[in-house]
Amino acid sequence: MLHRELELAWGSPAGLRGMLTVVNHGTLGLRFMVTGLVFFLLGGVLAMLVRTQLAFPDQDFMSPDVYSQVTTMHGTVMMFLFAIPVLEGLAIYLIPKMIGTRDLACPRLTAFGYWCYLFGGIILFSSLLLDMAPDSGWFMYTPLSSGEYSPGSGSDFWLLGITFVEISALSAGVELTVSILRTRASGMALHRMPLFAWYILAMALMIVVGFPPLILGSVLLELERAVGMPFFAVAGGGDPVLWQHLFWLFGHPEVYIIFLPAAGIVSTLIPVFAGRPMVGYGWIVASILITGFISFGLWVHHMFTVGIPQLAQAFFSAASMLVAVPTAIQVFVWLTTLWLGRPRMTLPMLWVLGFLVIFVCGGLTGVMLALVPFNWQVHDTHFVVAHMHYVLVGGMFFPLMAGLYYWLPLVTGRMPSESLGRLGFWLTFSGFNLTFLIMHWTGLLGMPRRIASYESAMGWDIYNLISSVGGFMMSAGIAVVLLDLALHGRFGRLAPRNPWCADTLEWAVATPPTSYTFASLPQVTSRHPLWEFPQLGESIRLGEHERAGAPHGRRELLGTDPLTGRVREIIHLPGNSVWPLAAALVLAVVCISLLVRLYPLALVAFVVAACMLLRWSWENGAHASATPLGDNEPSDPALHSRTPDGPGRWTMGVALLADGAFFLSLLFGWCYLWTVSPQWRMPDVSPLSLPMMIASGLALTLAASWLGRRCRAIVAGREEGLARAFAGIAALGGVHLLLLLTLAVQAALAPTDSAHDAVLWVGLAYLLVHATLATVLMLLQARRAALGLVSARLPFEPGVVLLFWRYHTGAYWILVAAIGVLPRVLGANA
Amino acid sequence: MLSGFGLVFVAVVVAWLAAFRPRAHVERSPAEERRFSLRWILGGGIVLPGVSILALLVFGVPTGQRMLPVTLPGETPPQVIEVVGHQWWWEIRYPGEQGDVVTANHLVMPAGEPVEFHVTSADVIHAFWVPRLGGKIDMLPGRTNRIRLEADEPGVFGAQCAEFCGVQHTHMHLHVEALPREEYEVWLDARRSPLPEDEAHAQARQDFIQHCAGCHRVAGLSDGERGPDLSDIGSRATLGAGVMAMEEGAIARWLATHQSLKPGNRMPSHDDLEDETLERLGAWLENLTP
Amino acid sequence: MSTPRRWPAPSHPLQLILGLSLWSLWFVVLYGGLSVACEMAPPEPSRGVFTAHNATLGLLSLATLGLLLWLAWSCLSASRRQEGVACYLSMVSAGLHLFSGGGVVVVGLPLLMLPPCL
Repeated sequence: MLHRELELAWGSPAGLRGMLTVVNHGTLGLRFMVTGLVFFLLGGVLAMLVRTQLAFPDQDFMSPDVYSQVTTMHGTVMMFLFAIPVLEGLAIYLIPKMIGTRDLACPRLTAFGYWCYLFGGIILFSSLLLDMAPDSGWFMYTPLSSGEYSPGSGSDFWLLGITFVEISALSAGVELTVSILRTRASGMALHRMPLFAWYILAMALMIVVGFPPLILGSVLLELERAVGMPFFAVAGGGDPVLWQHLFWLFGHPEVYIIFLPAAGIVSTLIPVFAGRPMVGYGWIVASILITGFISFGLWVHHMFTVGIPQLAQAFFSAASMLVAVPTAIQVFVWLTTLWLGRPRMTLPMLWVLGFLVIFVCGGLTGVMLALVPFNWQVHDTHFVVAHMHYVLVGGMFFPLMAGLYYWLPLVTGRMPSESLGRLGFWLTFSGFNLTFLIMHWTGLLGMPRRIASYESAMGWDIYNLISSVGGFMMSAGIAVVLLDLALHGRFGRLAPRNPWCADTLEWAVATPPTSYTFASLPQVTSRHPLWEFPQLGESIRLGEHERAGAPHGRRELLGTDPLTGRVREIIHLPGNSVWPLAAALVLAVVCISLLVRLYPLALVAFVVAACMLLRWSWENGAHASATPLGDNEPSDPALHSRTPDGPGRWTMGVALLADGAFFLSLLFGWCYLWTVSPQWRMPDVSPLSLPMMIASGLALTLAASWLGRRCRAIVAGREEGLARAFAGIAALGGVHLLLLLTLAVQAALAPTDSAHDAVLWVGLAYLLVHATLATVLMLLQARRAALGLVSARLPFEPGVVLLFWRYHTGAYWILVAAIGVLPRVLGANA
Repeated sequence: MLSGFGLVFVAVVVAWLAAFRPRAHVERSPAEERRFSLRWILGGGIVLPGVSILALLVFGVPTGQRMLPVTLPGETPPQVIEVVGHQWWWEIRYPGEQGDVVTANHLVMPAGEPVEFHVTSADVIHAFWVPRLGGKIDMLPGRTNRIRLEADEPGVFGAQCAEFCGVQHTHMHLHVEALPREEYEVWLDARRSPLPEDEAHAQARQDFIQHCAGCHRVAGLSDGERGPDLSDIGSRATLGAGVMAMEEGAIARWLATHQSLKPGNRMPSHDDLEDETLERLGAWLENLTP
Repeated sequence: MSTPRRWPAPSHPLQLILGLSLWSLWFVVLYGGLSVACEMAPPEPSRGVFTAHNATLGLLSLATLGLLLWLAWSCLSASRRQEGVACYLSMVSAGLHLFSGGGVVVVGLPLLMLPPCL
């Protein structure tokens, strides 16, 4: 009865229609993981091609050209199409269940992210089949990846495909952050949150801050390749080292974005299999936060040979060593927990043990690499390749396998087989060590990375052969694991409820989980709800807790206070929607038309995609297809769209954090080129008219403060003349936009001639896009106010738009100061 | 350093295995548990890495400082050799008052004294690395990086581009030879004096001017800059930046088949030239030894 | 003892990221300041570590360290008076401030050992 009612509200229509419009985190989380595993297998095949090539000296199994494509794609696929999406998928699947809610806060964004990932991945991987794959290495250093030295489409595939895939990472980052902060179970205060949620919170925020630098880098490099703006070309005043900074500013945090969720898996499993709570919850939380921050201060250790002053290198060297501290804390917290508990050696724990051995080794070689003189010797050799695989395979793949085996009974309701699983583990573990332990020596003997063949005289033969044999052994191990997974779904023993005697809420849902996850929403009073109340799952199913069922037909969950977990509002979620798929498809058209250089089509498709996203946002709040105003609405707590502060405001806030990271990266690029670029040319007189900038900024500031006053008035219950006021604000926004446009036209920039003008051009384009979006959003608000979708009873949306306006105002003045005022103050020759 | 790290690694793994060992469960009071865990977390998580980091920094940072290319007042500035990376070969320049001595893919340096290398690139990023002499340094277009290396004894050292630089990154070897100071001077002086007129190869010189001079320099004959300087090619150890050993007939073979020996290299294929011409050119070039 | 009112309170969740944010800010100023200073006015190599660059950055580091230690102390002493989530937050924050202080010491240490712009 309860089940049927909830299924009616939460389920998807049968057939293809349901499959394409589904927005449920369970389905999409699984899709993320399965797609990621497919890309993992493809990337693994590429790795085996590489090991075949290097097994013997002087091989020409692949031509150097194909070899470069294969190594580049192996790294790219494993990093961008496997590691990040799979972990995101795991988080998307588990987080709502673990924090005791029914779905993520922005379900349509989940679907949009998945489609972007799928289409981006297909576009990127298709390049290999077309023999046009990127071949400049997965780090895409310019000038090698520039139009001059990589004239084919390979680099474009990489830049556009990866940017497309990153939209999905950012969507997941934003919504996971908001979900963890605002939709936890009632009573789940910050210090009662499962550790896994802390890890995912850190990962999500790191994605939000860490990915934008690479997106900016990719945009700049694509602009350089497509139209010749010399951001990285020395002759035009650019600097190739800027790319390295932007890439590693993303690239190093990325390693921890991958490691943190994996460590989260370990931190979830260890208390369960030790049969006791984690001994140092606070220590772990502190370690997570430390790792999250310090990992942004290490990027230069990938660039120790670039020729940066030694003192600056020493800062990064010390910071790189410092990051060993939080990791060591975690290792010893885990150890102590096991020591004080009664450990059970199950299959998932075997993978955890494998993780520990490999990861500790990788961490130690990492500390060695942080030492500058040692780094100069082994940088870009196979030693680094070995280190990196110890950290990434040990730090991500092994915990992931532990997690897969651990949560498999939750997904399928069946237990994995111990015997086949153990064989798979030992083959993978020994194969891995055979491959990569030996590789440390190959590197110390001087074998550089990314060479397609070597001579017998170098004395590297036997080591390479052993590595290749080990590589194939590891593949066999993974094949056995896959076989085990496939067989278990059919022949595995049925799993009892909570088979591992775990403590966290995901084991209180039905196995396999239903579309609505929880029939009623439990209240949490400790860190270990299932150890405290082993029968919680049953009482949830019987609807004995809050918000049981869905008599109103809405998808509802509880919005709670980020700190205390006190219930603040009832969040109503949108149902299935075709817009995420449609928007992602049109974005794929944008991506492909940029690839084949049909720029007018790309522009049209971009506008269409923007309209679709706005259409999607239209079906919100009190819209007829969302949650129209009714008489029997709950008032305490109220529906979120009837309050001034719902999750949407938080989503906007976190998204603006990403936007801000992008903006700061752009400012960094400006300051960097200005001070360091070898042939930077600054015009004597700034081409930007200062009065025009100030006039445009005043219009913007006026509009933003008007909007702020209007928002306060709505919350206070005053709604007269709302539509007209909003239209007025939009008109002021239009004035700002027009003045900005005039400024850009008057400046007569020559962005293809000098890096200076190119950066100004990008800065102005950034402001123009934001100004347009702010104005359009305000126009839509005016329309919604006229339709009665925004009013004193519905005060939610203007607050969200206000955040965007305030951000744009701040960014505008900062950019004006940086590109308009600072050069005038310091003079052109500074 | 390696053994220290090895010890830490073994200790951690053994501690973990011991934690998994089936054993009698010891009942502890919560206060005892707290004390026990605090001791381990502080010891292993803070003290152990903290002490290692400080030790590494205090000993490691000054090591790097010794490689700094700084000449303090009172010291004689070291010999400077310029190295320019190209896709996929090395240009070596010995600055001198009567003009630079230029050679390619074969670096000769004085032994027993520090030598300062000024490295840059003509196209993409390369990295200069002689493994047995020390660390590596990137060669970036538009900048000049400096590194000081010293060969204690005369000898021959292999070197290879260490930064991925495109399809023939594999075949970008550099032959490094350290000579005693006097022999080094002799070697350098030989390259300063003009090449002798060689009547026997007059036709080859004509062919060279017609087909090769646009890209290659031979001292006194042509000034092409796109490809390696060939003025002393006969004295080099390898051809094509390490693709093949220099021996009799090697150059003609290289000229005929270089696009299959080193696919993608920037020299156009010489299908249009007759074998006879190539052999004539090869025979002359092999003789170019100062 | 009366608690002085200030923002953020020792148990405010933002304390969790305050110390590390200060560390990051200090790190950015350290690296950015050094780069700009070396571009504008590189000192004589022969002066070694005894340069205005090292001294300025060193003083900045000491000031940051002092601020972090003070924050750590105030959080720690506040945690003794509180319970529940507030006690927990100020305790963890104190640890994080302390760690950030240690981070300033370790990363700033090379200022005593290396000349600035080589």
